[in-house]
Amino acid sequence: MESIPFGLAALVTLFSALRVVRSPNLVHAALWLGLALLGTAALFAVLGASFLAGVQVLLYIGGVMTLTLVGIMITRRHDGLNVPAESIGHVRAGVVSVALFAVLAWAISATPGLDAAPLGPDATTQDIGHALVGTHVLAFEVVSMLLLAAMLGAIVIARRKDPAPHAVTHLHVPATAVREAAE
Amino acid sequence: MTLSSCLVLASALFSIGIYGLLTRRQAIAVLLSVELMANAANLVFASFGHFRGGPTGQTFALFAVALTVAEVAVGLALVILFYRSHGDTQVDLARELRQ
Amino acid sequence: MTPPLTYAAVAVFAPVAAALVLAVLYPLRKKGMPAAVLTIASSSAAFVSAVLLFIDRLQGAPPELATVPWIQSGSKVLADVGLRVDGASASMLVVVTLVALMVQVFSLGYMHDEEPPAFGRYFAYHALFLFSMNVLVIAPNLLQLFAGWELVGVTSYLLIGFYFKKPSAARAAVKAFWVTKFADMGLLFGLLVLYVASGSFGWDAHLEPATATLVTLLFFFAVVGKSAQFPLHVWLPDAMEGPTPVSALLHAATMVAAGVYLVVRANPLFEQSEFTRTVMLYLGAGTALFAALLALVQTDIKKVLAYSTCSQLGYMVSALGAGSMVGGFWHLTTHAFFKALLFLAAGSAIHAVHSNEIGDMGGLLKKMPLTGGAFIIGSLALAGFPGFSGFFSKDMVLEAVEHAGKVPFALLVATAFLTAFYMGRVVFVAFFGAPSARAAHAHEPPWSMRLPLVVLATLSVFGGAFTTPFAALQGEEVHFHLTGGAALASLFGFAGIGLAFFTYGRGPRHEAPGAVAFVERMSNSHAVNRFYEVLFHRVALVVSDALAWTDRYIVDGLINAVGYGALEAGRRARPLQTGLVPDYVLAAVIGVLGLAFWSASS
Repeated sequence: MESIPFGLAALVTLFSALRVVRSPNLVHAALWLGLALLGTAALFAVLGASFLAGVQVLLYIGGVMTLTLVGIMITRRHDGLNVPAESIGHVRAGVVSVALFAVLAWAISATPGLDAAPLGPDATTQDIGHALVGTHVLAFEVVSMLLLAAMLGAIVIARRKDPAPHAVTHLHVPATAVREAAE
Repeated sequence: MTLSSCLVLASALFSIGIYGLLTRRQAIAVLLSVELMANAANLVFASFGHFRGGPTGQTFALFAVALTVAEVAVGLALVILFYRSHGDTQVDLARELRQ
Repeated sequence: MTPPLTYAAVAVFAPVAAALVLAVLYPLRKKGMPAAVLTIASSSAAFVSAVLLFIDRLQGAPPELATVPWIQSGSKVLADVGLRVDGASASMLVVVTLVALMVQVFSLGYMHDEEPPAFGRYFAYHALFLFSMNVLVIAPNLLQLFAGWELVGVTSYLLIGFYFKKPSAARAAVKAFWVTKFADMGLLFGLLVLYVASGSFGWDAHLEPATATLVTLLFFFAVVGKSAQFPLHVWLPDAMEGPTPVSALLHAATMVAAGVYLVVRANPLFEQSEFTRTVMLYLGAGTALFAALLALVQTDIKKVLAYSTCSQLGYMVSALGAGSMVGGFWHLTTHAFFKALLFLAAGSAIHAVHSNEIGDMGGLLKKMPLTGGAFIIGSLALAGFPGFSGFFSKDMVLEAVEHAGKVPFALLVATAFLTAFYMGRVVFVAFFGAPSARAAHAHEPPWSMRLPLVVLATLSVFGGAFTTPFAALQGEEVHFHLTGGAALASLFGFAGIGLAFFTYGRGPRHEAPGAVAFVERMSNSHAVNRFYEVLFHRVALVVSDALAWTDRYIVDGLINAVGYGALEAGRRARPLQTGLVPDYVLAAVIGVLGLAFWSASS
């Protein structure tokens, strides 16, 4: 019975993903990504990972996608929402990605024991919480440090250095000239 | 819905992401493709988590999400920097290694 | 080191010390006489040591050896170098050093007119030659013998080509070197086969019959070249371009004798091959006759003696083939003395009339009694006149050959006849009769040239007495007795002398009798030379051209192709490095694809 929601969510996700990579408009592509992420969240829900689905919506759609849109706005010459996005090399890329999919699909189909029914009940949020501070506490701590580092790193990388490089020459003006200008 | 069908779906998403990675000329568009690929990976984690039981699948998916978020943040910062020095975010413009 | 070994060591090292000093100190050579003094001093030391060694060996002690490892492979010693004193090496050493010393003393007078630098160079070469020969003689194994052999080849090239500014002399030296070097391949390959078959370079290995035949045949090929047997005799007449004392040394007594000495040394090996000995028997006898025929028709006195040497070497070779090692060796010894005597006496005559041609001589006995007497004594010894040293050694040879084969024996007897005849011819034409214009003012040479003549003449006359001790040194007991064969040969010898007298001894030179003229036309000594010329140009040069082409275009071509290929590959591969990020991403993805495929399929 779960097949219908699964199939639906899968279709939506796939279609959106294709639009992400093929859309000629960058903003549209970002928006299609949002839909793909939503589809993925639905899939998570169908798979019994409700906590994960929530996190997905919050962080990915709410955070990442927003950030991306902002990024687009900052860095592209555009007028309004009409942001062109070119793409080339379709053929070779298509060949490679199709080949990759074929290999993966073949590997999956060749692996036995993948069609069994679920072995146990789905984990609850409580279970996840226990796992995070219990078995996987080290990873948990490390990831938090990583997040901090990433945040700091992003700030440092992206900040504007003042003064701007081409304005530095003003500082080399001798003190006498400054005094002269001040008079 | 079986594990194998979930995995095949994830593979398809991943491949689409690869296609985007290879095709797109805008840096941000490349980041979008990378997002897709990360999502496919999370899907694999969640699938195994559902079919094998236990919290491990979702836990690792959470970690992956955290990592991906960090990656996007830093990536965007880099894109901004790139934009400042090259005036555009075309990936082709990163030619400094070219003779 | 025991006394015998010390003597041998002095014999080897004194000459080379002199040679080295002369090589390094050019002023000594430039002055001329100091070089001569040094060389003669070292040769005298060598001779005295050789005599002392000989006397020591007469006591009959077993052979002594003093060697150091020479060629090593890891911890295994492949060959030694050093000294070996036994009956054979002691005997040969005496012969070599004596003749060398006599020749060097003779050269003081004969080469007197040379410029001092050339004079010095001459004596330096002599010292070097004596060293080379001694290395060969006292070699403890065949490898060192080969080393000495090659050294002898080089130094003889230097001596033959002494008048290098004369084109014919230079060519003669090269020809001698080429022909003997070609033959030396036999010795080299024989050594290789010997080593592979027996694991050492010694001559007392026991081999399978087929291997023994192969090795000895290869060795014999080298002997054919070095000892100027047919068909590799062609270099010897040309080598007469060298100064006459050099001819006396090299081509009477030492260098050409080295081939015979090799067989003497390797006698244990030769005893194992009936086939090779048969070949030697026939080839030696055949060469003896062939060369004697050619000696008949020469007008250059040195060329007569050169062909005579070929002929006598043929005697030695066939004696060895008949199984009489002692016979061949003893004939080598007596021949060394009387042939050197003949060459030096001829040199004295040449020096007097300033020409090599017997036609330019005549009546020299009256004008130069000592020279003439010496030459006559030498001729009688060569012809095997009863009582002279040559008689005894020829007797041993003929006795051995008579029992080995009728045909070779007949050839040798016929040769005895011819030998007496052609020597008689020279004696009667050059030393009797009316003097030619050139000979009118002939006179005896200085003491330096007369002394060696006296010494060698004495040995030629009385040397026969040493027959028994000599044989004893080689380990055999021989007492002279007149054999039928020797008597027959002596008769033929008398007949030869008689015929010579009839033809040439009466008054002015008669026209060559019909037989001689016939032989003259028939024995085209040029034929063999032409054959080699064609062989060289058509075959050897063609092959070497082909090899040179192969080396330049194929071998070098391969190397060049590798280099060029590497460059091209680099050039073609460069465009892959575009420097563009998307291309590198593609490469990475393709790598992932490959990895996925590989892990999925395993």
